[in-house]
Amino acid sequence: MYLMAKKLRQIAIYGKGGIGKSTTTQNLTAGLAESGKKVMVVGCDPKADSTRLLLGGLAQRTVLDTLRDQGEDISLDLIMKDGYKNTKCVESGGPEPGVGCAGRGIITAIGLLERLGAYTKNLDYVFYDVLGDVVCGGFAMPIREGKAKEIYIVASGEMMALYAANNIARGIERYATQGEVRLGGIICNSRNVDRENDLLRAFAKELGTDLTYFIPRDNIVQRAEIRKKTVIEYKPDAQQADEYRALAKKIAENKKFVIPKPMTQERLEEILTEFGLMESSDEYAI
Amino acid sequence: MAKKRINLKISSVDNREMRLGTITSWDGSASELVEASRYEARGRKKTAGKGRGDCSGCQGSDSGERKVCRLQELKMPFNQQTMCSHAIVACQLGNLTDCILVEHSPIGCSASNPRFNQGFKIGLARRGKPIQSLQVCSTNLKENDMVFGASDRLRQTIRDAHERFTPKAIFVSMSCSTAIIGEDLDSVTAEMEAEIKIPVVPVYCEGFRSKHWSTGFDASQHGVVRQIVNKKPKKQNDLINIVNLWGTDYFTPMLKPLGLRVNYLIDMASFDEMRQASEAAATAAFCHTLGSYMATALEEHYGVPQIDAPQPFGLAGTDDWLRAVAKTVGKGDMIEEHIESEHRRIAPKLAELRKKLSGVKGFVSTGSSYAHAMISVIRDLGVTVDGSIVFHHDPVYDAGHENQDTLGHLVKHTGEVKNFTVSQTQPFQFIGLLRRVNPDFIIIRHNGLAPLAARLGIPSFPMGDEHFPLGYDGLIRTGEALLGIMAKKKFGEVLKRHAEIPYTDWWLSQEDQFILARHPEILDEEPDAGVTTENLVELGADGSSKISEANLRYA
Repeated sequence: MYLMAKKLRQIAIYGKGGIGKSTTTQNLTAGLAESGKKVMVVGCDPKADSTRLLLGGLAQRTVLDTLRDQGEDISLDLIMKDGYKNTKCVESGGPEPGVGCAGRGIITAIGLLERLGAYTKNLDYVFYDVLGDVVCGGFAMPIREGKAKEIYIVASGEMMALYAANNIARGIERYATQGEVRLGGIICNSRNVDRENDLLRAFAKELGTDLTYFIPRDNIVQRAEIRKKTVIEYKPDAQQADEYRALAKKIAENKKFVIPKPMTQERLEEILTEFGLMESSDEYAI
Repeated sequence: MAKKRINLKISSVDNREMRLGTITSWDGSASELVEASRYEARGRKKTAGKGRGDCSGCQGSDSGERKVCRLQELKMPFNQQTMCSHAIVACQLGNLTDCILVEHSPIGCSASNPRFNQGFKIGLARRGKPIQSLQVCSTNLKENDMVFGASDRLRQTIRDAHERFTPKAIFVSMSCSTAIIGEDLDSVTAEMEAEIKIPVVPVYCEGFRSKHWSTGFDASQHGVVRQIVNKKPKKQNDLINIVNLWGTDYFTPMLKPLGLRVNYLIDMASFDEMRQASEAAATAAFCHTLGSYMATALEEHYGVPQIDAPQPFGLAGTDDWLRAVAKTVGKGDMIEEHIESEHRRIAPKLAELRKKLSGVKGFVSTGSSYAHAMISVIRDLGVTVDGSIVFHHDPVYDAGHENQDTLGHLVKHTGEVKNFTVSQTQPFQFIGLLRRVNPDFIIIRHNGLAPLAARLGIPSFPMGDEHFPLGYDGLIRTGEALLGIMAKKKFGEVLKRHAEIPYTDWWLSQEDQFILARHPEILDEEPDAGVTTENLVELGADGSSKISEANLRYA
């Protein structure tokens, strides 16, 4: 009898800056960890705040800080800490603001993690929480070099969030045609915008994917963040904790991975107009 | 007040494409290129302080001055490359006798330096200067430097270079990698200059800055004029700057009758020689491709006039150049007699050489304006020239002086060059372009071209010493050397029988070496699908419509 080897799922979370990628990633990984999955979270942002809620604070040194101070000859436990329910937490970090190349830093950090053996066989998931604005090729590294094969885009019903999501879909399309990376879906981190759910569904459909989950807005998320915790850890019986568990389940069970069909600017604006985010040109008439 | 053509307030140089409208890919006749270049119109705009290499002439209106009119070129979908601006800076500012060049780059960017070191040593020997090695250090950047920034490593390298070599100035060249991560050369060099108390000069020459390496000449000269030359010059009325490379000192005997001393810039120069550039009576260059920027900068900012003439090669070129020098230094009254006597002196030998070289066909493939000069030289020797490849073309030079239009001068004084090609050392085109003309010999200056010609059995005249053909004596020297080259023709034919050309029969059968630019759709064809003339739209040298016989034969 053969034991099926566990298949590691490597997932990257993209989205506009400030949309809630880190919060969503940590809460959903808490949900996965709670259900017994082995998860590693790699923060790919020079701010190094992608694992704060899992670790209960900015507890570990970043890969790049360690590399700069101590060189490559280091042990993994210097840069990888155990967080909530044994989630493995790593922050790539970055150079001082205004010098060097943070994008190249992501490539360097992930390369070092591989060499140090961070990608162990018992892992079920690796999540890459990537800087909001994919400013250069380095930040596309998790999807470009065959690391993450699934992408979820966090968005909301706000116009700029959808512009950003559409642009990210363009990047995914480019890499998808050459490799295995696919779009897994759109996650809506609600901002309580009118008809937000309908808009996000229409937007996802236009891209050829699904709205994976609609996370309602709830101030408990902020309260948990102040306490440096995910909602699942802070108030396990809260409704919002169940929302994140449901998101985790959706991702765990997702089988729909597509090459996205990004929209033209005109088409995107048509959808936004249809759902009331933009006024139609007629309304400008005096 | 007219805007200055050269802006020394900023530390970086506009690339040649922007300043001069430089192109690297073109095929037609020399007179067509003269016409398309519109040197006069561009020059007028430059001298009026309004031009950046674009042409107002073809717009025909006042508003045209603001419009950009580029000299069109063929857009090749495939190119080979041998050098970049960064390498050029290494073989300029790395070739100073008492200064250091720090290359702020990974070590691979210094890969050409062993070859440049050889050229430097040979050059020093030619000039009778003490032999020494190239003065180049590298910051030797690694991955972590790219991630975290490399300014500390640059500071340390500058300190180390200063301590070990006690140079009189340190130049720092930007590379592609350091430019991408936005290294702040201006701040670091200013800071280090204050610390070590010698000029520390930033040089912006990252390879992607320009499509042609000659921007590296300008970047080097910019740094020298901006930070090295004496800002309070004491005029030396018998000193003439010659912007050149590593050639033998043939300028001194040529200019001695005019009572002038030569100050060679900037290869193999010392700090003091560079410093006195602003004190000279005039600036000239062996080649305007090289010297145009520095001559114009010295003229505009320090009142050192530049010689408004073509280059001192061939009879007409040398005559005009000497006249212009004499006029500039106030010795115009004696020059005609001197020229006449020089003509008389070389006439018997020249006649003898012309007789021996009559019926011989030559080909020139060198840098742009130097090629114009070389064609004049060998035509004066009786050699037929109906083909040439230059590595780029500047439709105008920085000063915009009309008499510096070297291609126009060539055509006017020696006639048409039927097959005139602009191609940046592209070996895959070189074979076909040579075959089109089938010359008896070829003049080259750059590595790798002689073996290509040798495969076709064509002997090469490698003009390593760029001053060799200079002036009246250079004409005779070149003629005599050519006889020696021609004597090796038989050897070339034997070599050809044993050499293979590494291109497919399909490519070798193409008569138009720019077919990939005119018909890029060929690249999408299946290898054996064939292409017929029926679906080809004929385009001319600059991409405009023009029926090409070569293309009609392509089927």
